[in-house]
Amino acid sequence: MTATLVIERAGPLTTIQDAGRFGYLAHGISASGPMDGSAYRRAGLLAGSGEAAGVEFSMLGVELTVAEGEAVMGWDGGTFEVSINGRTQSWPGSALLAAGDRLSISAGTGGNYGYLRFGGDIDVPVVIGSRATSMRARIGGLEGRVLRAGDRLAIVADRLSAHHPAKHHAALGPDPRAGARATVAAIRDRGPRVRPEGSAAFGVTLGDAAAGQQKTDGPIRFIWGLHAEVFSAELREKFVTSPFRISSMMDRMGVRLRDEARVFAEERILSLVSDPVVVGDIQILGDGTPIVLGRDHQPTGGYPRIGTIISADLDRFFQLRPNAELVFAPVGLDHAQALLRSAIL
Amino acid sequence: MVQTLGDSTILVRFGSRLDENANRRAIGFAAALESDGIAGIVEIVPSLVSVLLRYDPLISRHQDIEGEIRLLLHGVPEERAGAAHRIGVRFGGEAGPDLEEVAGLLRLSPEEFVARHNALPLRVLATGFAPGFVYGGFHPEALTLPRRDTVRPLVPAGSVLFAAGQTAITATDIPTGWHVIGHTDFANFAPDAEPPTRLRAGDSISFEVA
Repeated sequence: MTATLVIERAGPLTTIQDAGRFGYLAHGISASGPMDGSAYRRAGLLAGSGEAAGVEFSMLGVELTVAEGEAVMGWDGGTFEVSINGRTQSWPGSALLAAGDRLSISAGTGGNYGYLRFGGDIDVPVVIGSRATSMRARIGGLEGRVLRAGDRLAIVADRLSAHHPAKHHAALGPDPRAGARATVAAIRDRGPRVRPEGSAAFGVTLGDAAAGQQKTDGPIRFIWGLHAEVFSAELREKFVTSPFRISSMMDRMGVRLRDEARVFAEERILSLVSDPVVVGDIQILGDGTPIVLGRDHQPTGGYPRIGTIISADLDRFFQLRPNAELVFAPVGLDHAQALLRSAIL
Repeated sequence: MVQTLGDSTILVRFGSRLDENANRRAIGFAAALESDGIAGIVEIVPSLVSVLLRYDPLISRHQDIEGEIRLLLHGVPEERAGAAHRIGVRFGGEAGPDLEEVAGLLRLSPEEFVARHNALPLRVLATGFAPGFVYGGFHPEALTLPRRDTVRPLVPAGSVLFAAGQTAITATDIPTGWHVIGHTDFANFAPDAEPPTRLRAGDSISFEVA
């Protein structure tokens, strides 16, 4: 199954991502990878992507047409509107699209990031071990940049699925290769086939995938940070009892928070000798603005870090839209790691 | 000091200020970790005065990793003998617009400044601020200046920067508040090479006029 896709419309920050480029912080390169990793994995299960790269899009969505060939596509993450050739589809969902089909994803009711994954890999070079686009280092993905209208992406058979033909059999019927022409014909006649929710897709049911979803509300849990002691006990108490708001200044590098309760407004923030930083670090800038570092974070930082959001809550945090209110709740390391174990799909 | 940083990393810190001793200990500890290894650690990131260790909490218990770290800290890790690099620099002019000002602030002629700047090799104190970026230090006290008051929004890859008793080299276009004293063709970031950067913390760099 191969296809050529043409991007017809791309919202800001539409990028190619894979699981990430880990291990290169000492070289000045943060890992990148999907902002909502669990949604990325769920979309991959829907499309039978294995380890293959996918497309991350932001609030305004993405639109593409299939110029040649055919490809299974799966989508998930947040709540977007999706249609194929004008027919509304369910979110999340998946379908086999063939030449001439148009997939349109537009703004929905929740979330900042959605994912489109394919029954094959995106034919872009592996750069430093990954296809993930690093907006900061300007490497990976398509020429190290965001996708835009007119870009063409080739979907090619990925090596992993080639070794596991059974995965495709489960999805496309007993003999997908023999049935391919008939399938394409069926799509032309009746529109793309969309598997109803809950049906078996690539040996994984949607029910299983949904079980991996994180809870959508409740406090954002964190572990007290490297420099928590820089702040007074009184301030730390205010930090965990006051609401914050997501500001509109957010991208893959970081999310600025609005501190309406003025928790940090009177603080005299000193800069410190820089240390490596990690995704989820809550830095307090010199003017008292809290900023949570994203997947394309700077590799090092010299602002005090009051805490670090736990891995199990990062995906949910990055999906909070501008103006959403949140509170922070401290948890211990053992608890955070137990949550991480139970959250893995 | 062994500190928790989130649920998958540990930071081992050797000081709260940048000084030669803390920096040497951080680099030595990172080298000891790389040669001895601790099961479960998947990434080692030496920095100015600390070392970040990433581990997989699905595989390793943090208590076990912290125990191993403390054992390793009891030894006296020797600093790895780093590789030596010679780096040609075009000082001043368009390549180094701040050279004259820097020399003037230090009450030296530009030629005297360059001669003193290049007199002794520097150690790579840390990498990782940006792809291929390196901090080199330390210059003697008499060759120490604070940063500029204003930040240049973008300086090109290969810029040779000077401030805080250090000389830094950029490998990508970045904003900086450091003085730009020259430019080098030495490119410390090549995305198609493995590893993608050449200079490592603890290496020695000697500057010469290109």
